[in-house]
Amino acid sequence: MTLDREYASVPGSDGLGNVPILEIRGVTKRFDATQALDGVALALYSGEIHALLGENGAGKSTLIKIITGVHQPDRGQILLAGRPVLIRSAAEAQRLGVAAIYQEPLLFPDLNVAENIFISHQDRGAIVGWRRMFQEAEAILAELGVALDVRSPARGLTLAAQQSVEIAKAISMNVRVLIMDEPTASLSAHEVRELFKLVRDLKRQGVAILFVSHRMEEVFDIADKITVFRDGRLISTRRRDESTPQSAIADMVGREIDMLKARPSTARTDPILSVVNLGRQGVFEGVTFDLRRGEVLGFAGLIGAGRTDVGLALFGIEPATSGTITLAGKPVAVRSPREGMNLGIAYVSEDRRQLGLILPMSIFANVTLPSLRRFLNRFGLIRTGLERKTAESFRTRLAIRTPSVDVAVANLSGGNQQKVMLSKWLNTHPSILILDEPTRGVDVGSKAEVHAIIGELAAEGIGIIVVSSDLPEVLALSDRVLVMREGRQMAILDRAEADQESVMTAAMGQRPADSTNGRAL
Amino acid sequence: MNWLQRHIRPEQIRELSLLLLIVIAILVFGSLIDGYYTFRTFNRIASSVAIITVVAVGQTLVVLTRNIDLSVGSIVGFTAYFVGTLIASYNSINPLLAVVIAILLGAGLGVVNGALVAWGKVPAVVVTLGTLAIYRGVLVDLSGAKTVTTDSLPQWLIDLPLLNVVPIGSLDIRALFALALIIVVLFHLGASYLSFARRFYAIGSNPEAAQLIGLPLKGVVFFAFVICGALSGLGGFMMLARFGNITVEAGRGLELNVVAAVVVGGVNIFGGSGTVTGAMLGAVLIGTLEQSLFRLGISEFWLNAVLGLLILLAVASDAVILQRLRALWARAELKLIADAPKKGSQP
Amino acid sequence: MTNAAATLKRWETLMFALLVVIIALNSLDSRYFLSIGNFINLFQLSIEKSIVVLTMTLVIIGGEIDLSVASVMGLAACVAAWTFQHGAPMPLAVLFALVAGVLAGLNNAFWIAYIGLPSLAVTLAGLIGYRGVARILLEDRAIGGFPDWFNRLGQQAMIGPLTASIVIFFALFVFFAIVLHGSALGRLIYAVGSNVQAARYSGVRVGIVKTDLFVGSAFVAAVAGVLYAARLGSVRGDMADGFELDVITAVLLGGVSIFGGKGNLVGVGLAILVILNLRNGMGLANITGNTQNYVIGGILILSVLAPNVWQDIRNKWKGRGT
Repeated sequence: MTLDREYASVPGSDGLGNVPILEIRGVTKRFDATQALDGVALALYSGEIHALLGENGAGKSTLIKIITGVHQPDRGQILLAGRPVLIRSAAEAQRLGVAAIYQEPLLFPDLNVAENIFISHQDRGAIVGWRRMFQEAEAILAELGVALDVRSPARGLTLAAQQSVEIAKAISMNVRVLIMDEPTASLSAHEVRELFKLVRDLKRQGVAILFVSHRMEEVFDIADKITVFRDGRLISTRRRDESTPQSAIADMVGREIDMLKARPSTARTDPILSVVNLGRQGVFEGVTFDLRRGEVLGFAGLIGAGRTDVGLALFGIEPATSGTITLAGKPVAVRSPREGMNLGIAYVSEDRRQLGLILPMSIFANVTLPSLRRFLNRFGLIRTGLERKTAESFRTRLAIRTPSVDVAVANLSGGNQQKVMLSKWLNTHPSILILDEPTRGVDVGSKAEVHAIIGELAAEGIGIIVVSSDLPEVLALSDRVLVMREGRQMAILDRAEADQESVMTAAMGQRPADSTNGRAL
Repeated sequence: MNWLQRHIRPEQIRELSLLLLIVIAILVFGSLIDGYYTFRTFNRIASSVAIITVVAVGQTLVVLTRNIDLSVGSIVGFTAYFVGTLIASYNSINPLLAVVIAILLGAGLGVVNGALVAWGKVPAVVVTLGTLAIYRGVLVDLSGAKTVTTDSLPQWLIDLPLLNVVPIGSLDIRALFALALIIVVLFHLGASYLSFARRFYAIGSNPEAAQLIGLPLKGVVFFAFVICGALSGLGGFMMLARFGNITVEAGRGLELNVVAAVVVGGVNIFGGSGTVTGAMLGAVLIGTLEQSLFRLGISEFWLNAVLGLLILLAVASDAVILQRLRALWARAELKLIADAPKKGSQP
Repeated sequence: MTNAAATLKRWETLMFALLVVIIALNSLDSRYFLSIGNFINLFQLSIEKSIVVLTMTLVIIGGEIDLSVASVMGLAACVAAWTFQHGAPMPLAVLFALVAGVLAGLNNAFWIAYIGLPSLAVTLAGLIGYRGVARILLEDRAIGGFPDWFNRLGQQAMIGPLTASIVIFFALFVFFAIVLHGSALGRLIYAVGSNVQAARYSGVRVGIVKTDLFVGSAFVAAVAGVLYAARLGSVRGDMADGFELDVITAVLLGGVSIFGGKGNLVGVGLAILVILNLRNGMGLANITGNTQNYVIGGILILSVLAPNVWQDIRNKWKGRGT
């Protein structure tokens, strides 16, 4: 068990004297209130597949952004084949032989497949040799075992096909380091097998691969080494045969006891919301749960699990295509946000800057926007005095720190912005409140305040759904935890049986307390 | 359905249906108008289409990058007038030089547009709405509101539109139309085969991705406006050749016809897709409608009303129908993939 | 105060200063300049455009654009003239004109709000199409001979020294100022123009807001077209051609952002006055109407370019500071 310490503390060597092709040393990165990465180290070797695990917010995507030139580290070094390098742009990363493939492909929808593969090559000459391009593209895709029409525009392709094109792109550039960020999330089992064949091919050719995935069975199928990040720190780096899914999960979630105190339950017996087999074509399915008055139901799961989509369906922004919703005993259909609001449902978005707030507008204008109707006098004009008073009362109640309610919300800190969003929706007097990542990017003090507010709201009898990637938060707040994975509901855990490991296990699709070979549910 | 899907892209269907529409229009008008299927009709349509086509090629490049150039009418008028005045004063000027001057003049005006959009970061619609007025206004001022008249022009210029370049049996392909065809072919080939040209498509298709891979967005957009100006300058010369009499009002409103041709021709208003050939077909359809309505004695003003409707239908159909077609194609492809024997897959 | 409010205060102050300078320069040329009579004459010359500027302001703040307003003006005038010529009593003809405007607005709104096409393309099509319909009606003719009371509407003083058009302008100015800055619709317009997605997520019915904008814009354009016909005393198929340039210039000069969500009617009101006095001043200096046109074109571009350049300079300064 001391092996992982060795790897973590002696970068630059795999014990066999090889120099890593890409090495991260002591990289630190901070975004405003959040410490995204704190002195992490990672070594990628040619011809090795290195898996990176970690919860949401553990720092994986930040690291990837740094390696691909999108961000620069505050401290630390990146070494390519032993030489320190500065990667300041995506183009530069590409030139250095570093390529990344994401869950969402970055293609040109109107250009054909072959062109997409070769578009960033600067050295193909002034004249496009279509025949040669098509041939080379077909050759690369044949290696992939994918039969695609290289002449068709990228727009018409399925997500899986687009993914293959991205991979073909990387191959065509003689990549030395390939980063794959959740590449299999939307692929079928067959497509994943084909992808892995290619990945192994690349490995044989000496490419170093950094593989980020939440699918344990895949990780343990393909990885040579497994690194776990937690809260921006490196926790462990182990060889695959010295690791088990359970140990990996334990590394991912294990924390010192600074657990939040559990909120006393205020759940009543009568369900205010009853959802049976809710689904949205191609997005999520089979979601079934009850929400009682005064209950806090936590939605846990990894990114892409579909939790936000369920929230959007309940609120009416992306309506469900199947299943039933029963509100206070009556079946309802929610086809638009207005309908959702009229039914007493409120959805507080996870993206407060783009979707949750209108940044240039003042606090009070944001607070009253959904409920503007209640602030009109008999001529149809807005009673700004009443608006300000309402905003003031929320400012007091939620402790929003601002010199006045006339300030543009763009000027507030993340935590205060979150509170303004909350005020806005509380102002609609909802009976069901869906909070999507309510404390993301929020400082510790405001976070505690928001939790307290949630507790008070529950005590008042509002049914609350909290979607959150912050496990301690989910566990502290929730009476029950609904776990989702890849668009499906995995489990509903009672407070008693929910702890970090059981939730994470369900979120990754493992049977609880399973044996070590990582078979999926 | 299978053969169709294997060999023809949804985008090509757009152009094919446009061609079909033109054929239908010709047939319909042919039945309504006596003596329609004559070469005279052809030449009439061809000469009015020629100028619009050349300018539409330039507009296509601009629209591909998600911009628009509303000042082309003013550029055409400007160059037509100035080159006309120049030739009128120096009758012995080398014809080729005159053409080059027209092109350079147009390009210069395009430089202003391009610089303001690319580096001034002013939206294209605002810039070209402004330069539409500025170029026209400067023209009127500098010209003293005089007119270029035919009798001041040298014979070669007056004869140019009648110049028979390629006689095919009794059909004459005259100079201006031939020039338009050459331009379309050249630019179509260029857009398809020059790596540099492919960037126009990439930038219009996904500007963020284009920036990420290091494509020079500003340079490409700037260049699009310069080329558009240059082609408008050429169009100005063609207008001078065709009409001889050029007033300061020449080319007013041309931009509307050009944008209509481009949009009807299948160039996506959001950028990223469309061909200059499509733009030409759009110009041909509109030109056919224009000439035929005229022959039918229907007032020319019906054309504008129809044009407005055509633009709406073209943009709407591109937005909605093309999506459905693509979905259909995608599903068919999945089937192909599922059915075809896999190379190298394990049993 | 909010960021937007602070920026605009600067812009309005600038506009006001500009206005004062221009008026001062102009009055140097002629003492007559500062009289009410002169001012009214001045205002009259562009009154119809100024009326359309009001709704264009709302449209652009809402994040859209309406290039078809001039064509709707022409269309309405032609509909009025045509029906009048075919025997309809003038009030009925005017009614038809207004209905034509509403129909054009509904057409615009359908393609933009319901089908979801970009407003640039749709209103460009409208610019071409509505003008076409107008010319179908009137072809190359001019129609005049309207009843006296109608002509008086646009030409003679009706309330004190002010003509009906000027009164209508002020009434509409007050009305739209109240709508934009005091009503729920106004608030929603700002929201939709700032961030349409966030507005949607807040339960705002974006489609209805956009429909209101385009129907309102076309209706007011129709009113302006009728008033224009009244002032000129006759109608041609190509009247009001190219007016959209002046209208959009006034809006952008007034500090309204082309991208939506920012701006107010005070700035726009000042911009109208600035352009008015500028044109007058140029006229006094014997600058032709044609030259004036392209000065306006230059102002249009500058009103967006100048803030951009200013922002770039400030960013470079900030960069140097660190």
